[in-house]
Amino acid sequence: MVAAQLQSIINAHTQLEKVSDSTWQPKIAQTVTDSTDAIYLAVPETVADLATIIEAAAQEKWRIIPCGNGSKLDWGSLTEKINLVVSTQKCDRIIDHAEGDLTVTVEAGVQLADLQAKLQATGQFLPIDPIYPQEATIGGIVATADTGSLRHGYGGIRDLILGISFVRADGKIAKGGGRVVKNVAGYDLMKLFTGSYGSLGIISQVTFRTYPIPATAQTFILTGDAPSIATAIKQIKNSGLTPTAADLVTGSVSSALELGNKLGLLVRFQTIPESIAEQGSQLDAIAQSLDLSVTSYQEETEAQIWQKLSELIRIPQSSDGITCKLGILPSSAVQLFQELAEISPTKSLARIHIGSGLGSCQWLESDRAAITRMRSLCQQQQGFLTVLSAAKSVKQEIDIWGYSGNTAIMMQKIKQQFDPQNIFNPQRYVE
Amino acid sequence: MILRNLLSPKTDKLQPIIKQLETAIGKDGVVRRKQELLTYECDGLASYRQRPGVAVLPRTTEEVAAVVKICHDNDIPWVARGAGTGLSGGALPIEDCVLIVTARMKQVLDIDLENHRITVQPGIINNWVTQTVSGAGFYYAPDPSSQIICSIGGNVAENSGGVHCLKYGVTTNHVLGLKLVVADGSIIDVGGMVPEMPGYDLTGVFVGSEGTLGIATEVTLKILKRPEAVCTVLADFPSIEESGAAVAGIISAGIIPAGMEIMDNFTINAVEKTVKTGCYPTDAAAILLIELDGLAVEVKSNKHKAAQICRDNGARNITWANDEATRMKLWKGRKSAFAAAGNISPDYFVQDGVIPRTKLASVLQQINVLGDRYGFKIANVFHAGDGNLHPLILYDNKIAGQFAKVEELGGEILKLCVESGGSLSGEHGIGSDKNCYMPYMFNEIDLETMGYIRNAFNSKGLANPGKMFPTPRTCGERANAQKTANVKGAQLY
Repeated sequence: MVAAQLQSIINAHTQLEKVSDSTWQPKIAQTVTDSTDAIYLAVPETVADLATIIEAAAQEKWRIIPCGNGSKLDWGSLTEKINLVVSTQKCDRIIDHAEGDLTVTVEAGVQLADLQAKLQATGQFLPIDPIYPQEATIGGIVATADTGSLRHGYGGIRDLILGISFVRADGKIAKGGGRVVKNVAGYDLMKLFTGSYGSLGIISQVTFRTYPIPATAQTFILTGDAPSIATAIKQIKNSGLTPTAADLVTGSVSSALELGNKLGLLVRFQTIPESIAEQGSQLDAIAQSLDLSVTSYQEETEAQIWQKLSELIRIPQSSDGITCKLGILPSSAVQLFQELAEISPTKSLARIHIGSGLGSCQWLESDRAAITRMRSLCQQQQGFLTVLSAAKSVKQEIDIWGYSGNTAIMMQKIKQQFDPQNIFNPQRYVE
Repeated sequence: MILRNLLSPKTDKLQPIIKQLETAIGKDGVVRRKQELLTYECDGLASYRQRPGVAVLPRTTEEVAAVVKICHDNDIPWVARGAGTGLSGGALPIEDCVLIVTARMKQVLDIDLENHRITVQPGIINNWVTQTVSGAGFYYAPDPSSQIICSIGGNVAENSGGVHCLKYGVTTNHVLGLKLVVADGSIIDVGGMVPEMPGYDLTGVFVGSEGTLGIATEVTLKILKRPEAVCTVLADFPSIEESGAAVAGIISAGIIPAGMEIMDNFTINAVEKTVKTGCYPTDAAAILLIELDGLAVEVKSNKHKAAQICRDNGARNITWANDEATRMKLWKGRKSAFAAAGNISPDYFVQDGVIPRTKLASVLQQINVLGDRYGFKIANVFHAGDGNLHPLILYDNKIAGQFAKVEELGGEILKLCVESGGSLSGEHGIGSDKNCYMPYMFNEIDLETMGYIRNAFNSKGLANPGKMFPTPRTCGERANAQKTANVKGAQLY
């Protein structure tokens, strides 16, 4: 039914196929619990075609999973009775790079890696470091608010996004914000859509602020006993040092990086050489006074260490692996890791950004009790723990979001306003 | 008297709830006397005035919730007001409304230096936040020019900016969590002590919503460590174009100053005539102020680079100041710019628009052409780093019909900003002032979509009605014009 109706409205450029006949099948199977009806995949080439498809879907109340390249398609709760997967991967035009204004406007399907290459040629970059940087599309990155350690220096996706367009649940295209770096006209739809997991509309276009590529970079890794690391964190945060990233990692991560088995603290400076030299010596002094070991990285190995860290913790290492996003008051991070070491001594890997208190962790095999315990520890320290990737059996048994606030009803009202028929990512986030 | 009161629908409408309000927050927190209500009839945009039906001054979240619930149950519109310094009429009362004033909500609720956070009530003054934590070497970054009198609650409602937001961002980048009373009187907590909590980013949605979604009663802010060094560079140019090119050059060289400000020749002369700083050459077409901060070693390097870029772009003289006293001297003229305009002209009207910063020179030229066409002198002072213009239209309100023409010219300038790829407002907000211009920037679908958010938070439309979005009622008429309010001892812009 879906196929017949869509065939009549889509043009020759829109790819339409059965998911079961496509390479998308394994990803969809991880997310959708039943598949009695055939699920179709539509890949429009233009935003206008995307809007046409959604308009038809709205009339038929088809249940839709929106996505880009699907690298994070399994994040979110399980769902069922899905009719259509809509990918924006071919809506991939770079609309405008206003070089002198340090802004860039792109369609949702643009791959971050392609955009970075283009920006790099002008000495600029988008300061985000999400997981799957090669495949991830801009739309998917915004929908999941996914960035990494660079949050420390540049803020989250919400702080970098200046404007947004999206296809609403009735197929109409709406926008918010603009293309300038300062703008307070109208409600901030950019922030509403950042981290909304495709539940409110399909992001079609985004404007970001870009930054000049820093002159040079150096990363220092301090390792040692928990009390010394805790003191080092306090001293760094209380100093004039301006790292662009600063992550606390578990002993298991230090070990995977071949730096012993004690807690580690990665500190990245990206600035002019004389400042790096100055900050490096200040950091060294802190490390010396606390008897911490210091390893430093420059040039290619410097970027690689961050990439390696991200992949190690954030990509499930097996089909049993469980990856999570967490948040905690930064001052409680060291204590949390000490407790984690007791809960799951060898089976977990984790990091926490010491500025924001956000972080990520992975259990190498399913351990529901450990997740529950960690979540409770995070919540006690005013944070949260959300499961991202996990086996279907795990997702069926636990609440993956871990929302503990008093605002669920307001979120439901917003969802109801934007998507009254609940066609976008039903059951997966807010409904 | 009694007869008139009985016949007056205005009195009837609010009379039944006065007792309830007094019970909810105490008699001393309910202001009804006309004389006392005069204070509240306008905000910083004094062109529009309307006396509220009643003003209430609660002290706690629960008291605010009780007031809002009474309004909700009785279908009475209400408007939130902080210090009343807003420049877009966001806190302008509407007829027969309950005005909720946060002036008595001035407590610091929690300071957590280790986590760089502070939680305050909304009535606290922006600058007090910095004063509270400065002893420990911290500060609160957003610094609207009215920071010694404006309230944090108002900053949250308007998403206020400031001179240093080029590098550090505006209010929304510094708010972690909020306790809100929404329009049905219920209390919700959005965000928290940690960013990116699960669920929609309702903190991000609320900041800048101009009182149309509810009222914030507790605000958790990020605080920053004071930079090690600060340096202010002053350069003067023979043309506005060259000063604009220097701004673009500095940005593209990879330097992100805390702020960059430009003043044109007309403003320079107004300032030198009024405050006589002696810093700004009166024959310069433009002066550029650049504030650099960070580690001493970076500030030193960037200072030389920025100065060289200014020279390469035609700067005639360059001076800089590293110590606080000299820096303040260089800034004094900029900070007095609006007062100076007030001294050389009977009245002035300030506009707030944004353009892509690369279009500074051409847009400024077009603004002057518009000014000539309408027959008004326009002084230009602006946050050049982020393209946020504040053209000042000088006029005389005593001349009949002048303000109407000034408003029209202001509208033309906004249209020009939007057509250049910019925005209707960079920091003052839309409020009652610019809601009719929203269609320049957003189409019906966009506005309808924004309405979804308002419906969710404010289904009866009682929270700050008629603001931010165009309505047939408000956009069909314009209130009587008066000049912008003067608030003693502070700059409003």
